[in-house]
Amino acid sequence: MQLGFLVDLHLCMGCKGCEIACKVENEVPLSTWRLRVKYVDVGAFPETKRTFTPLRCNHCANAPCERICPVSALHYLENGIVNIDKERCIGCAGCVMACPYGAIYIDPQTQTADKCTYCAHRIASSMMPSCVVACPVEANIFGDLDDPTSNISKYIQQHQGDVQVRKPEKGTDPHHFYVGGGNVQLNPLASFRGEGHNLFNNLTHIHLGGHH
Amino acid sequence: MVHETLAATNAIVVLDVALPSVFWGWIITMNMWAKSVGTGIIFLTFFLLKKYPEQTGFIRFPAVVISIVFIHLFLFFTVIDLHQMFRFWHIFFYPHLTSAITIGAWMATGFVGLLLAMTYAIYMKKDEAMYDKLLGWTTLLAIPVTLYTAGLMAEATARELWQMPTESAQMILAALLAGSATMLLLGGNKFSEAVKKDLALVLGFSAAAAFILYMSEYIFGGMKAEEVAATLAFVKGGEYTAMFWIGQVLAFLIPMALVCLSLKNKSYYLLKIAAVSALVGLWVSKHVWLVIPQLLNMS
Repeated sequence: MQLGFLVDLHLCMGCKGCEIACKVENEVPLSTWRLRVKYVDVGAFPETKRTFTPLRCNHCANAPCERICPVSALHYLENGIVNIDKERCIGCAGCVMACPYGAIYIDPQTQTADKCTYCAHRIASSMMPSCVVACPVEANIFGDLDDPTSNISKYIQQHQGDVQVRKPEKGTDPHHFYVGGGNVQLNPLASFRGEGHNLFNNLTHIHLGGHH
Repeated sequence: MVHETLAATNAIVVLDVALPSVFWGWIITMNMWAKSVGTGIIFLTFFLLKKYPEQTGFIRFPAVVISIVFIHLFLFFTVIDLHQMFRFWHIFFYPHLTSAITIGAWMATGFVGLLLAMTYAIYMKKDEAMYDKLLGWTTLLAIPVTLYTAGLMAEATARELWQMPTESAQMILAALLAGSATMLLLGGNKFSEAVKKDLALVLGFSAAAAFILYMSEYIFGGMKAEEVAATLAFVKGGEYTAMFWIGQVLAFLIPMALVCLSLKNKSYYLLKIAAVSALVGLWVSKHVWLVIPQLLNMS
């Protein structure tokens, strides 16, 4: 079994339901994320369009984060999920340096690396990942890539010419696919990225005690 | 290249997470810089004891002490950079052998063991033959200890700027630069003219070779990969431009010029200035090269 994910960007409407579900299910601390939806505006007024792109760990078959981790805190499960053992992680940030998708962060509460696990704990109970359950338009398609009768395999078959992965040149063999995406959504260099359009502000710490 | 579509698409990110912050900062720069000194001085000790055994015998003890101090500085900065530093022992009890970090930690531990054995040989047993025998093995191990950081940077798949062939050459050159500079400062006027000339040549040639590599990347790097072009923009008019050039001038250009002048004038004073300039500039150069790929948005 090799679990994989596909997002149909034709369907995604940027409601951020998946983002919230992920936050709640996995107790992701404020100012960090396992899954988020990036908004990119294209064109000039009045001919403008807004695109939405959910971004999460790609669970690569040739994962650079797994390779660089010095203590095997990042490891493969038998179903292909790249999982993380936070008790073993030493917080070296090698995985943060290695991930070409910027999908790994240092949890400010545990001071260890963290990322999307495709809700491995839910899958162990035969439940769908929380983001799949939350999506009102069923843009998230999840299942076994090895099973030709699974929804994801059928979807890939039906949209063969339109299935893409992010940064294929990195040779990471992602288990996360997109349908209906273009450069603007999938390549960070294809859009202008300035400061000031952030999901979170910078008010993260309070300085208690001492003189001011 | 895809950024050339920007003018046509006018694509702009209007909501996302913040731009990435620097995870490997000055602590990792200190780590790399201290390791360059710690391994570089071993390379130069081996060279001098082979070529000038009579004139340079006095460096045996101070050289190994300096190497121990700087290798421990390197290990100290490695550990304090960990977000969970008290779990450092996991590297030895849960090793993952595809990771350059694991391999590097094991090799550095072996390197420290050999340095301590050398100290025992020269300080406790006063046995120069034993010291010299150990020095051969230590010099051999110093090569992969120097190179493993290049392997680590190469494994950082996301950072296109760091390529193994260039980084491994830069690591060895940094060790030779730092080692010869430290040796010049250590030896003082106790070295003969011939020894000083050799050290000056090592300093000058390693500075020249490292500068050529940096300039090659600066000028040609962006022609082959868009991410490299975007990364180099930070030192081509971007926020790290001044720091990049300060590093290049201090680490490479000033030492090259002063080595030429000192060889002509036989001035050891100029060599000392060149050595200090090289050590300071090396830190700055390494810091810029470490930080700029981390400023690129990955997603």
